Amino acid sequence: MGQRSSQFTEEELQDYQDLTYFTKKEVMHAHMKFKALAPEKVGHNRNAKLPMNKVLQYPELRVNPFGDRICKVFSTSQDGDCTFEDFLDMMSVFSDSTPKSVKAEHAFRIFDFDGDDMLGVSDLKEIIDRLTSPQKLNDNEMTHLIQNILAEADLDDDGALSFAEFEHVIDKSPDFANSFRIQL
Amino acid sequence: MSGGERKKRISKGAGWEEAGGEFYQECYPGAELDIEHLPRDPHYFATLLPSKQNRAATTRRSRCDTKSTYKRCATNRSQNYSTMQQNTMQNDVHVAMMPDLSENLANEETTWEEMMLIKTMPINMSQKREIKAKLLSADTFRLQGLKQFKLKKRKLWEYLKVRRKELYKMIELWRQCFITIEGNFGTGVVAFFFFIKWLMFLNLTITVIIVCFVVVPTLLMQEKESDPCAQINDTSYECCPKIYFNSWTNLTITPYNILQGNGWLESTIMFYGYYPNSILENVILNYNLPLAYIATAAVYLLLSLCAMIKKAASGFKDRLMESEGQYYKYCSMVFGGWDFCISNESSAKIKHKAIYKEIKENLETERREEEKKNRNEEEELRFFFIRVFLNGISILICVFAGLLIFYTFQYSVGELQKDVHDDLHRLLLEFAPYLCIVGLNLVIPNILNYFVILENYSPISALRVAFFRTVILRLSSLGVLLASFFSLVRCTSDPATCSSPICQKPLCWETYIGQQIYKLLILDILSNAAITFLVNFPRMLLAKHLKCKFTQILGAQEFELPKHVLDVVYSQTLVWFGSFYAPLLPALATVLFFLVFYIKKFACLVNSSPSTTIYRASRSDSMFMSVLLVSFTVAVIPWAYTMTELEPSKSCGPYMGRLSVWSLIREFYNSFPSWVIFCFEGIVSSTFAVPTFFILILSLYYYYIVSKANKQMVNVLKKQLILEGHDKQFLLNRLSAFIKQHQERHKAIRSVDPPNNSN
Repeated sequence: MGQRSSQFTEEELQDYQDLTYFTKKEVMHAHMKFKALAPEKVGHNRNAKLPMNKVLQYPELRVNPFGDRICKVFSTSQDGDCTFEDFLDMMSVFSDSTPKSVKAEHAFRIFDFDGDDMLGVSDLKEIIDRLTSPQKLNDNEMTHLIQNILAEADLDDDGALSFAEFEHVIDKSPDFANSFRIQL
Repeated sequence: MSGGERKKRISKGAGWEEAGGEFYQECYPGAELDIEHLPRDPHYFATLLPSKQNRAATTRRSRCDTKSTYKRCATNRSQNYSTMQQNTMQNDVHVAMMPDLSENLANEETTWEEMMLIKTMPINMSQKREIKAKLLSADTFRLQGLKQFKLKKRKLWEYLKVRRKELYKMIELWRQCFITIEGNFGTGVVAFFFFIKWLMFLNLTITVIIVCFVVVPTLLMQEKESDPCAQINDTSYECCPKIYFNSWTNLTITPYNILQGNGWLESTIMFYGYYPNSILENVILNYNLPLAYIATAAVYLLLSLCAMIKKAASGFKDRLMESEGQYYKYCSMVFGGWDFCISNESSAKIKHKAIYKEIKENLETERREEEKKNRNEEEELRFFFIRVFLNGISILICVFAGLLIFYTFQYSVGELQKDVHDDLHRLLLEFAPYLCIVGLNLVIPNILNYFVILENYSPISALRVAFFRTVILRLSSLGVLLASFFSLVRCTSDPATCSSPICQKPLCWETYIGQQIYKLLILDILSNAAITFLVNFPRMLLAKHLKCKFTQILGAQEFELPKHVLDVVYSQTLVWFGSFYAPLLPALATVLFFLVFYIKKFACLVNSSPSTTIYRASRSDSMFMSVLLVSFTVAVIPWAYTMTELEPSKSCGPYMGRLSVWSLIREFYNSFPSWVIFCFEGIVSSTFAVPTFFILILSLYYYYIVSKANKQMVNVLKKQLILEGHDKQFLLNRLSAFIKQHQERHKAIRSVDPPNNSN
């Protein structure tokens, strides 16, 4: 308990508990993990801002093909550098108890590489390339696959997935909530 | 369209545009500037439609003006847009997205509810905190009386939920193991380990039920004294139990006994034979043990069934969706393809490969379907014959395996009738049929898998066919074993004597079957452990340390989920069948499953590398449950048959002296008050049952029609949606054309205007 009082006040913890999907204990645990990324920095200032490459050393993010996108989406400064609060936000979205709709919203932002609020053909290409790298689908397969995806999900036939369409797909995909998850 | 008409139209259109433009300018003073800067691409407008906005985007935009921390706001697209947005959208967005602070009626409860909703917003922490502070500082009504109490209750409930979650996290079994496995093998494989845990707890529950209602009463309460058999050497019918109990001599504990379940172990609460057939007496109540025994069995089987159905229900729903074509195969492959929980570098590499392979395979399958349509007849015929031939051989192999098991069993029983004194020899003989079963289960699936490769199935159905055949092999070998038991037990001896020399029937055949199942279960786990630690582990070491090609082929192993699932399901089938004959079998199974978890964990984390086949969690779950349901049926039907048809042994157990276990239930039923019997018979009688049957069929039909209509509705709506989409596209194109025209006209006016004005 001594550690708790030194790191965060009870009030702050309550705040974090109200504003994320974590309990107070999990917040402490998250902070431990965050501290482990850069002990010297976080030791001084518990809310220190870590550069993206430091955050990407978190094991699940390091091997994740979308690691840099995740950092950028959750970073307050938009450049991938994360403070502890950003990190907490991130882990909260990826936690078990987060509802599917919240996860879907963030997934959409992660997948939306060009930031136009639509998943267009170029976004889809980027997603698939990152998923299959180092191998690459040949052009023929890629067009075929994207055609299939759009045929399935692009309800209004405009050649791109809007958020509503994306959410609809996610609703019908039983594995999404299961796979879009990082355990602390 | 004639030229004149077109002209007329254009001029009309231009007039409208002019009027619209003026209106536009009047309403939105800044609009003139905007229109010039707006791009002409209709796709750009599409992104501005309200239906295209996600909450993240809107919130982000709404925040842009107040606090321009977001980099996005500074991107070129938003820059173009920001002026207009400030004028028009700001208010709407604020009203829609922010918790409504202006509402006069905000009371404590709504404030609290809103506070709970903050976490669902895709904004960063400082903004969340800001909103929370705003909510807290806003004036709220204090609730009075009952409402206050209700709010307090809700808050307390929330608090308790958090505490419960924390506590559960602390005591949750194998939590760290799951995270490790997940990090290395993904969600599909970790589902298997959850499955083992689930089975362990199922067995634990069954154990608790049995211990409470059968074991504890037997141990605590005393039998009614009744000993009709006075002389030890009497061989009359009443003395059968005595003969049986007298055979329990020489009760020393040896390791062989523990393995075989005989000797000392036979005389304990472990087996059926121990339990008395009388009503147990206590100071307070009389306990009808035979009735409790069968009722307990029924209860735990029902409980297992309910638990399975409950767990399977969600999985089956997904399957149904998949089969009805509403499943987005490619989308879930791409958007749900990566397991975000993977934390291991080499596993990530394999996952990349697996996803690549899956996508390729699916595209391949699609192409194959196309090809199938124009595959020539000759080729079709060839594949057909190959498949028929190989299927025939698979069936032959299964039959051969069955015969082998049957004859080994006969041989072993026959040899054991002769006196075998050497303990080890005896042990081998006793275990011979089970060694045979385990051996066959190891070898034959590999042969079957090899066949599947020859049959040229698509990769996905190849997996299914191989799995299906292995399930059949496993369950049929079990079926053969049960049939052998049956042939041994069926022979009816003279009703006046306990056993006859012609019959090889054991004195207490229920205990005998219990022992056999006990042996098989133990052997199964032991062989599992042996293969994992003694065969596969050295193989892995070989592959790891000797880098030559041969050892790589010999030693490289993937974690093949279906095989491991079958191992576990098989054990559970044995438990279901055997727990009537050996009431403490579930307790043993609980311990064994606990060990199996570690064995499989070792097999998974140390011995094998992740499979290049992707196992989806939802699909594996439904696979586990369907196999488990099948094996449940395989276990329960023979058991139910023995309950109703076979005569319980005369020398032991709660049912000695009865014609069948079923007769006890009949007796019990007849002892009910007459009105209960009357009601029950009324329900069962045709006057009641036939109408009920019809009503059920009618309602079934009704729901069938409803679902069909819904399906049609879905199709109609889909079409409508596409039409609407086209309409929208059309309008957007018109709009961009209009803007283009407008801008050009402005340019023209500007270039013409200055001299005009000066004039």
